Amino acid sequence: MKALEGKIAVITGGSSGIGLATAKRFVEEGAKVVIIGRREKALQEAAALIGKNVTTVVGDVSRLEDLDRLYATVKEKHGHIDILFANAGAGTVAPLAAATEVHFDQTFDVNVKGLFFTVQKALPIFKDGGSIILNSSVSNVMGLPAFSAYAASKAAVRSFSRSWTQELKDRNIRVNTMSPGAIETPALATTTGLTAEQAEEAVAQFAAQIPMGRRGKPEEIAAALTFLASDESSYITGIDLAVDGGWAQV
Amino acid sequence: MTRLNGKTAVITGGATGIGLAAARRFIEEGAFVFIYGRRQQALDAAVAELGPDARAVKGSVSDEGDLDRLYAAVKAERGSLDIVFANAGAGSPLPLGQITAKHIDNTFDTNVKGTIFTVQKALPLMGPGGSIILTGSSAGTTGAPSFTAYSASKAAVRNLARTWAEDLKGTGIRVNVLSPGATATELAKEALGEEGQKAYGAMTPLQRMAAPAEIAAAAAFLGSDDSSFMTASEVAVDGGLAQL
Repeated sequence: MKALEGKIAVITGGSSGIGLATAKRFVEEGAKVVIIGRREKALQEAAALIGKNVTTVVGDVSRLEDLDRLYATVKEKHGHIDILFANAGAGTVAPLAAATEVHFDQTFDVNVKGLFFTVQKALPIFKDGGSIILNSSVSNVMGLPAFSAYAASKAAVRSFSRSWTQELKDRNIRVNTMSPGAIETPALATTTGLTAEQAEEAVAQFAAQIPMGRRGKPEEIAAALTFLASDESSYITGIDLAVDGGWAQV
Repeated sequence: MTRLNGKTAVITGGATGIGLAAARRFIEEGAFVFIYGRRQQALDAAVAELGPDARAVKGSVSDEGDLDRLYAAVKAERGSLDIVFANAGAGSPLPLGQITAKHIDNTFDTNVKGTIFTVQKALPLMGPGGSIILTGSSAGTTGAPSFTAYSASKAAVRNLARTWAEDLKGTGIRVNVLSPGATATELAKEALGEEGQKAYGAMTPLQRMAAPAEIAAAAAFLGSDDSSFMTASEVAVDGGLAQL
């Protein structure tokens, strides 16, 4: 039997990178997935790549009405949720001395507030005994110059998994954090604000610092997420699973 | 699932409890498993249950000669080794004030020195894609009264994975720690009784002790390519006990 046979999974930020690889893997493992993202074209391309058992919703996790629309769609189509991967997140580079209020607010709006309400609004249709996975980052325990807002927002996410493990224990819902390290996704080159040259330098630096000597692939994060989403991790709750090639572990 | 098809695994402390559950699971996933333990009778019973894809070698992890015999047997029959689950461990309570040198030595001989030589002696048989799993414990990060020696030894095991991820850089061999919480092994069930099991379970957010098979499922994940970007990590399988 496949690990996620018959399960209903919601993935935010599901049209590219880790979210897309995870949606693809979950469907391969027997799940039906609903992905939400801001860009309609990217969602359509993602749905084509995933091939089957996928529903797309255009929306922004920092807009509460978009989340309401997401869960209305899930309820109508599937009735309930077994697995939630709250993955949507963003980070741009801004040194402390130069960071603006807009930079700070944008980071926390998506990564913290967006994730908070992504989970809260899922609860009414969330099945007891299900699995919630919050996407943090190994930056939640690292010092990364010019990424302080991002790293702090991810530390907040790590904290949520602790509190919510307690709050949801009576419903037997497990809540864990996934902390990827440096992963080969488009985000580094397209959304962080780094120049192409800076992004290349960062990649070389990652390889030197990571014990495994390379960045991870989105599929490797998706494999670990499948473990956390499935009954294979039935006695795991409240943890922060670092999948980082050893980067933040040594 | 057959994620470990064709792989060869060594499981120390493999005749009972978590080790035996992992042996069962690894074999279900397609692996050939050598279990290693000190009691011949327990090993015989385990191999009889596990079937043709299991072998037993009798020995202690704190005896280097025994470990040499283990790996000679693996080399003779399989030629190479893919997964080491360094799981043998022991611990008994002694409150601060009554700790003896012998108590410390016994605990560290098995849990720390035994783990170090279990892994060091396995390396000549291992190569790219290899996975080493060390059994830690939620006690390694919590304060458990009277468990000075055990808890400190498991904190040491947590560090071994950090150091070895660096030592093994470039080899393609990964090393991670699996840290169980309160697990309802036959031994634990006998020692705790119904009431004791309830009390231990009540300490965790999941409100129950783990079944050994739940720890084995995490070991299978760490042994398989599903954890291919993980090294030096700790996976706590503790029902949330040490996480909040």
